[in-house]
Amino acid sequence: MTLRTAGGILAQVLALAAKDLRLEWRNRSRIVAVVLFGVLVLLLFSLAVGPDSRALVEASGGFLVIALLLSTTLGLQESFRLEHADGALEGLRLLPASGAAIFYAKAISVALTLLLLGPVLAPVAMILYIGEVALGGLAQLIGLWLLAALGLAAPGVLYAGMTSRLRSQDVLLPLLLYPLEVPVLLSLVKAFGLVLRGDPMEQMGSWVTILLVFVGVYWLLCGILFEYVLEEGT
Amino acid sequence: MPAAAASARAEAREPTDAIWCEGVGRRFGRRWALAHVDLRVRTGETTVIVGANGSGKTTLLRILAALCHPSCGRIEVAGHHPVTQRTRVRRQVSLISHQSFLYGGLDAFETVALWTRLLEAQGEPPVGRQRIAELLDSVGLGHVAGVPVRDFSQGMRKRLSLLRAAIEPSRIVLLDEPFAALDPPGQQLISEWIGVFGRAGRTVVFASHALAAARQLATRAVVLQSGQVAWSGPAAAMPELGQLPALRAAEGR
Repeated sequence: MTLRTAGGILAQVLALAAKDLRLEWRNRSRIVAVVLFGVLVLLLFSLAVGPDSRALVEASGGFLVIALLLSTTLGLQESFRLEHADGALEGLRLLPASGAAIFYAKAISVALTLLLLGPVLAPVAMILYIGEVALGGLAQLIGLWLLAALGLAAPGVLYAGMTSRLRSQDVLLPLLLYPLEVPVLLSLVKAFGLVLRGDPMEQMGSWVTILLVFVGVYWLLCGILFEYVLEEGT
Repeated sequence: MPAAAASARAEAREPTDAIWCEGVGRRFGRRWALAHVDLRVRTGETTVIVGANGSGKTTLLRILAALCHPSCGRIEVAGHHPVTQRTRVRRQVSLISHQSFLYGGLDAFETVALWTRLLEAQGEPPVGRQRIAELLDSVGLGHVAGVPVRDFSQGMRKRLSLLRAAIEPSRIVLLDEPFAALDPPGQQLISEWIGVFGRAGRTVVFASHALAAARQLATRAVVLQSGQVAWSGPAAAMPELGQLPALRAAEGR
């Protein structure tokens, strides 16, 4: 790939990401719905476990990650419905916009939308499961949330793109996405748990390293594969 | 492929051909939407594809635009193969389809600005805001530049889609039922633009039920029936309705 081609793809990514974010903003009621859905999931977990505060604290990281994962799935499905309404995505392919550019633009916009969930879900989880908002771990939480958004967005966009033209999308997307996300989910559960419960053994570094590696691999591989996903079924 | 699908072989390919198909077919499940079509369109020519609903017009245009893979046959569009060289084909082809290919959440100005930015990223010259406003005026959408596309009528969407073909640097323009859902001024606008594309040396292929417009605008005509070529030749020599069942079906009589 020449420098000029790379510059062209980067310019396409920026133009398409601006378009995606503009559309997300104009459909912000959908974002609010996704955030409220996440809060509801957190609330349901706290009710399911009951007043046993120790059990809640132990499982808090897992509950937070599951709420994020479910909210991500909901957001992805909606995001691709916009792409297929009146053949808009086909229109981009005809221009022709690069498949990699379409992928990275969509992944950036999904990741940024997921970042918006953090300031709401993390404090709610702290209040529900720990009983206080610990400001000490705030910087770590923000960093982890960024990695979570990146780790969920790339495979999410790939599989949402793959299943979005199918009638059974609602079922297939979680079936395909969740197994692939297992390494990221496990690392996130451990890392979020360490922030929420404390990290006396200083294990955080190793989990963050695993997360960084998987985020890197996902963003690289999914960007390459998305071109084939777009052309599949033509 | 049904035996009845076999038709006369395509004429020999020449370097001046913008589109060349031989034995092209497309199957969806067990049904052949397009069966063994031979088609040759010379550069700069305006060709109309006539046929009833389900005769294979849309499938053929989508194959030519590299949006649909043929199940069989040989094909070249602007000298490239639409399956193995689809990006090159798409650079040379503009498609105006039943679907508008537009985002309902963007307004008309933002839509054109997005197209121009994406084309600029591919090496085309930048287009300023003033020029975008002029382009919208040219299709009668200047006064609704800030209105979201979701609030547009079908006709207004088609006008905006037409603008894309105007700004793309493609050599071939494909239009699928361009006169459908348009009022008389809209139909007049489409006719004018087809003329503009032709005078600019661009190859135009449009699918239509409107036989009068087809005879007036096109130099060549291809009549499709059940996915096969029923007749092809100069548009002016296209048979009358009574002479060809496919034409009666196309006009819905």
